[in-house]
Amino acid sequence: MATLQCPTCDVPFESDYSPAMPFCSDRCRHVDLGRWLNEEHGVTIECDPDAEHETAWMEEES
Amino acid sequence: MAEDQHSEEPAAPQANAEYTPEDLQHLSDLEHVRKRPAMYIGDTTGRGLHHLVYEVVDNSIDEAMADFASNVSVVVNNDGSVTVEDDGRGIPVDVHEQLSEETGREISTLEGVMTVLKFGGKFEKGAYQTSGGLHGVGVTVVNFLSQWCEVEVFRDGHVYQQEYERGIPVGPVRRVGTTKKVGTKTTFKPDSQVFQTTKFLYDMLYKRLQELAFLNRGVRIKYHDERNGEGEEFCYERGIIEFVEHLNRASEPIHGEVIYLTGETDGVGYEIAIQYTAEFTENLHSYVNNIHTIEGGTHVSGFRAALTRTLNNYGKKENMFKDLVPTGDDFREGLTVVISTRIPQPQFEGQTKTKLGNSEVESIITMAVGDFLGKYLEENPRVAKTLVRKGVLAAEAREAARKAKKALRDRKSVLGGGGLPGKLRDCSSREMELCELYLVEGDSAGGSAEGGRLREYQAILPLRGKIINAYKSRESKVLENLEVQSMIQAIGSGIGDEQDIAKRRYGKIIIMTDADVDGSHIRTLLLCFFYRQMYDLVADGHVYVAQPPLFRVKAKKKTYYVQTDEEMKTQLLNRGLEDASFDSGNGHLVEGEEMRKLSTTLASMEDALLALERRGISLRNHAERMDENGKLPVFHVFLGRQERWFSSRADLDAFLQKQEAEAGHELAVGDNAEPTSDSAGNGQQGPELHIIELHEVRTINSAMSELSEMGFDIQSLIPQERTGVEDPRYVLRRGEHESALEDLRSLLPAIRAAGEKGLQVTRFKGLGEMNAEELRETTLDPDNRTLVKVSMRDAGAADEMFRVLMGDKVEPRREFIEKHALEVRNLDV
Repeated sequence: MATLQCPTCDVPFESDYSPAMPFCSDRCRHVDLGRWLNEEHGVTIECDPDAEHETAWMEEES
Repeated sequence: MAEDQHSEEPAAPQANAEYTPEDLQHLSDLEHVRKRPAMYIGDTTGRGLHHLVYEVVDNSIDEAMADFASNVSVVVNNDGSVTVEDDGRGIPVDVHEQLSEETGREISTLEGVMTVLKFGGKFEKGAYQTSGGLHGVGVTVVNFLSQWCEVEVFRDGHVYQQEYERGIPVGPVRRVGTTKKVGTKTTFKPDSQVFQTTKFLYDMLYKRLQELAFLNRGVRIKYHDERNGEGEEFCYERGIIEFVEHLNRASEPIHGEVIYLTGETDGVGYEIAIQYTAEFTENLHSYVNNIHTIEGGTHVSGFRAALTRTLNNYGKKENMFKDLVPTGDDFREGLTVVISTRIPQPQFEGQTKTKLGNSEVESIITMAVGDFLGKYLEENPRVAKTLVRKGVLAAEAREAARKAKKALRDRKSVLGGGGLPGKLRDCSSREMELCELYLVEGDSAGGSAEGGRLREYQAILPLRGKIINAYKSRESKVLENLEVQSMIQAIGSGIGDEQDIAKRRYGKIIIMTDADVDGSHIRTLLLCFFYRQMYDLVADGHVYVAQPPLFRVKAKKKTYYVQTDEEMKTQLLNRGLEDASFDSGNGHLVEGEEMRKLSTTLASMEDALLALERRGISLRNHAERMDENGKLPVFHVFLGRQERWFSSRADLDAFLQKQEAEAGHELAVGDNAEPTSDSAGNGQQGPELHIIELHEVRTINSAMSELSEMGFDIQSLIPQERTGVEDPRYVLRRGEHESALEDLRSLLPAIRAAGEKGLQVTRFKGLGEMNAEELRETTLDPDNRTLVKVSMRDAGAADEMFRVLMGDKVEPRREFIEKHALEVRNLDV
């Protein structure tokens, strides 16, 4: 058994007692599904200066 | 005086020996109560029985609330009788003029209280402001419904006593001695001729007495049951605040402190305590004059109206609602509230007469709660946002549940498992275990994958991330609605509690995304979706991540692929090191094992040096801060206007201790990682302290000590000012070829460049750059490809990362990205 934090409501719960892993409840799983279907879930993209460094060493040679 | 009468009267007269108007009145009251007890105490079951105790206790509580008593004791005796005692003023025992006039004989107030209905202090506001007790019938009814009853009054230094049998005085009020005590002590044994049961239940009394103690703060109620020897003492200095905490003891409150308000308007007193928990149900307890109003009433509706309106106003003002505005019901989810009102003339309605009807109370409570809560929310924005968010969540849940239900009913819809998505290029085999579904990022890669797949067993579903700009005003990438639906349809095992992985259409679900930041974001998003909505699929190990190569390398005769940056770097380095030697300029030629060791050390600090420079600190400047042990500073410290550098924790601690000793107090640590313009020390708490730890410098220091063993100091890493005519500072030799180097840092790139000679290295910017053949060879063909099975840990980590990446909090996200900036691969699962 593990203590998890519900992705929807942030409340900690015991995994063994959840009917809707990895959520604390069916309700919170439903809310999450609603968000996927409504395109509310996304990953924030910010201007990322580090992206360049990945290839920096290769460009130095050319 | 009463005592004269007592001493002269013969003991224990039969009440019906004389026929007087008083007796007529008395008998009619008594008979009425005994014939129709339900009219007075509700019923004659256990509920009515316990009500007798509450009636007596209520009188004591009234004394306590009027500040005349502070202790109430309730004892269930071995014989089944109950004794209730308080240390209040004691019921008056002297002759009551009006009553005596009416009855034509001298009669004490005490006897009146015990034997005459609707006689007592509660009907006028003089004696008690407001009082509990059901409809004021009080102790008289208790007496009438008891087999026997005894009252002792401790007052004016004397003890007075009277006994009754089935409501009829056995004798007059007698003075039986002196005492230092004050108060009233009532003992009664419920009449088994009236009640269906006369057995008091420990738990039932316990619960009510505790409740009364909560409702009447500071009153000490001692409870003891002689039958089982158990008991408890209740006293709550914080009253209903503690009541709410008690109700929430097994729940998870979502804000720290109980919200509490109290006041009085037009004679209506109110006290309300509120706390929200993570539960989904409402836990509301309302009281009028200590009576539990189970059916609610105007005080409850007033509260609810104000709560909904105030929270909604706040949410609107703060722009917290997107499409859905929570309803009153939504704000009731997880609400624990105790509403205690004191009303001089309560009117009760409803089946059990436990619904408050006074219409004026509704507006009084609405106004009071609205005013208070509106101000509270303004002053406590964190709590306010938490509460409103909870309501939004509840509204969302309601809406989502409705949609999901509708979707499940609608067979054609996505959740009902209707047709297959149009973009799916399905495989021809129906042997589920052998079939694979590739989820491919981007349409062009989807095209290559379609051309390169093993048509019989491999299906391709192209997915596209979509940039939207609306989300929390930052750029955000989402998978389109359609994409999520397509996946659900293609996989076919359903979602949520409708999941049945036996119904899935493929043995493996394989995520294939570009090896760049966008690709890793889309992969994170997909893994998160599977983890949350197709949990069983992940738990059973059917989800995989494909590992397309990052580089194509063409040598003279063969072409091969390299998966990662690290691997590519290592390969080039190894190739470049063959036959390489390094002239360090002081006559020493580094080669062979020593050469390898040097390049390994340089490689270990390569990223760390970049990280340092990314902070805006150049190695040249930092080298000047090196301490006597040859260590570069790891801590950058600001204290007010002072700026200091320390290369060890010990030095830092010594500095801080000295500063604290000088300041005479602990130093105030600034909120921000870096000092702002106003934290330079004009505040009253003294200068703010900011400590920035340069983690990467530890790596640099460690590598530097290795370098110094090899005879290089920090300056060897930094280009020196030179005229340009002298010999090169360092030289890398490889066979006949020589390259001049200005510092040691350029050694590694030079070796790699040398290693690249004769190779054609192409970095794939995305899957789409690979043609169908290449994709098949590297990523689709089961004989050559690398698949990584997604474990629950991986998926959980993706979920966690997703929360960080999409969360409201900027700081954790920045930390997270900084932490992983050096190891971009960790962003890839």
